[in-house]
Amino acid sequence: MSDHRDSSIMDTLRLIQKRYLIWLPLAVILAWTTIPLLWSFASSFKTRSDFAQVPPPFFPEEPTLSGYSRVLGDAGFWVFTRNSFVIASVSTLIAVALSAITAYGFARYAFKWRHVLLLFILLPRLVPRISLIVPVYEIVRSVGLLNTHLALIIVYTGSAIPLATWIMIGFVGAIPKELDEAAKVDGANSWQVFRRIVLPLTIPGLLTIGVLAFRDAWNEFPFALALTNSPEVRTLPYQLFLFRDSLGVADYGLIQAFTILSILPILLIYLRLEKHVVSGLTSGAVK
Amino acid sequence: MSPPTTQTPGSTELADPATRPGRNPGWWTPYAFLGPGVALVTVIMIYPVFYGVWLSLNETNPFTGVTSFVGVQQYLDLFAQAQFQNALRQSLILVAGTVILGITVSMSFALILDKAPRGSGVIRAMILVPWLISGIAVATIWRAIFSPTGGFADTVLIFFGIDPITWFSSGFWSMSVIILVSIWSISPFSTLIIYAGLKTVNLEMYEAASIDGAGFFATFRFVTLPSIAPQLALALVFLSFAAFNSFDIILLATGGGPGRSTEVLALLLYRIGFEQLDFNAGAAVMVVLLLINLVLSAFYLRLLPREEDGA
Repeated sequence: MSDHRDSSIMDTLRLIQKRYLIWLPLAVILAWTTIPLLWSFASSFKTRSDFAQVPPPFFPEEPTLSGYSRVLGDAGFWVFTRNSFVIASVSTLIAVALSAITAYGFARYAFKWRHVLLLFILLPRLVPRISLIVPVYEIVRSVGLLNTHLALIIVYTGSAIPLATWIMIGFVGAIPKELDEAAKVDGANSWQVFRRIVLPLTIPGLLTIGVLAFRDAWNEFPFALALTNSPEVRTLPYQLFLFRDSLGVADYGLIQAFTILSILPILLIYLRLEKHVVSGLTSGAVK
Repeated sequence: MSPPTTQTPGSTELADPATRPGRNPGWWTPYAFLGPGVALVTVIMIYPVFYGVWLSLNETNPFTGVTSFVGVQQYLDLFAQAQFQNALRQSLILVAGTVILGITVSMSFALILDKAPRGSGVIRAMILVPWLISGIAVATIWRAIFSPTGGFADTVLIFFGIDPITWFSSGFWSMSVIILVSIWSISPFSTLIIYAGLKTVNLEMYEAASIDGAGFFATFRFVTLPSIAPQLALALVFLSFAAFNSFDIILLATGGGPGRSTEVLALLLYRIGFEQLDFNAGAAVMVVLLLINLVLSAFYLRLLPREEDGA
């Protein structure tokens, strides 16, 4: 009897352990991920006196919107935001389009030099952007594009294509080739097959590479630093970097407000498309 | 490549028009598809590499503007320089710290997430967030956290009764903070890679292990680890690539200081190229950076078990 009861208590305990104990490490993960962000968010409402206290409080004593109102009231902020949006959107659109087309060529055709040309897409993935700032600066200078949006758009597009194409080859490869063949029998040419049959079926892939390309362009800093210098073409990360020197007594509330505002767009895009991105990354990028 | 099309013989040619170039009028179709993409990548990423190699083999006199071929002289000068040797050392410390701790964190997080019950989808979505944020924003946040005025690190230390530390005035603490911040910012992606690997482990193997009486560690060592070896190697490649080429975070958080204690190769490349305006020496650092990247990737990919059964 007692034996039986003991084991049933043990079973219940084990069940509780199995079911609820996992939440403890999960909470640790969540804390590690979000506390720095929450601190930054809380600090964006702080006044200077909050930063002067010992020990410094996590939450502002008297929350103020002054940081946000000064950032949003500054004409410069809107110029930098527009620049970042234009550069990131245009380079993302071109990169997604070119990568999809390129991936279709690689996934659907056998041709001379296929393997060599595939290396042109694979090897650049081993080249970090930061390493290229010297030669790319020289090239951009020689064609007279220094300090232009166009230079950043071209560079971001070109450096987004290798990974995006690689992911898209996986997505296109997963679509049965019989669909292409059936359409060709019906008289469609190669472009029509790609555009009307294959492309609509790869939308999850397009979203994945779109978010990746947008993230890269929205966040990029070394090329922006090397290739631009005037405020009219400046992007958000560049301005955030300049806060480091430009404010004599660091105005932390304002800086954290600027930080939060600059990460908000990419955060919203990700949260909107999270399911596609995570499954796209785990199935494509990871291979 | 192409599936057999025996049932519709007339379509064989259409199915694979480019297998016989020259005979088929559409042989150029694949080239038309991938031409623009490959061309742009060549201009933006491949040509600059070769151009950089060429730059590194030359020397431009800053006063006369005359360029002359000097062979490997740039490299000899570079390796003899204390500043370069220091940068190489700091880079290796950063990579070693970030990779060892980063892979531990990623592995633990992935194992936990793999066991996560229903309703924890939000947490899984949240873990990728640090990786989405720009290096500059990450550095701005963490620089303020470790700031001597109002930083959160002080709040924590004082809570535990420890005297505040002026983190960025010590080389050791600066590098430690950089490693911590790098892990926070890049390990979400390696966690995702390993998590995806865990999802592919055959559940029957876990059952078999548990019937054999294997404990947690034995199961991990003999079932989980071999099953996710490819993803583990990829996670290592990613972590070391991201740590070795980290630039934004360091430039903003410490600027390479104090002294040169966090001046890694990527930072030195920028300094030499854009502050000392010596593009030839900067290009030589670029080549060294690329070669180390190649060697590191090759090293981790060697860890991959060869698939001898040809699966």
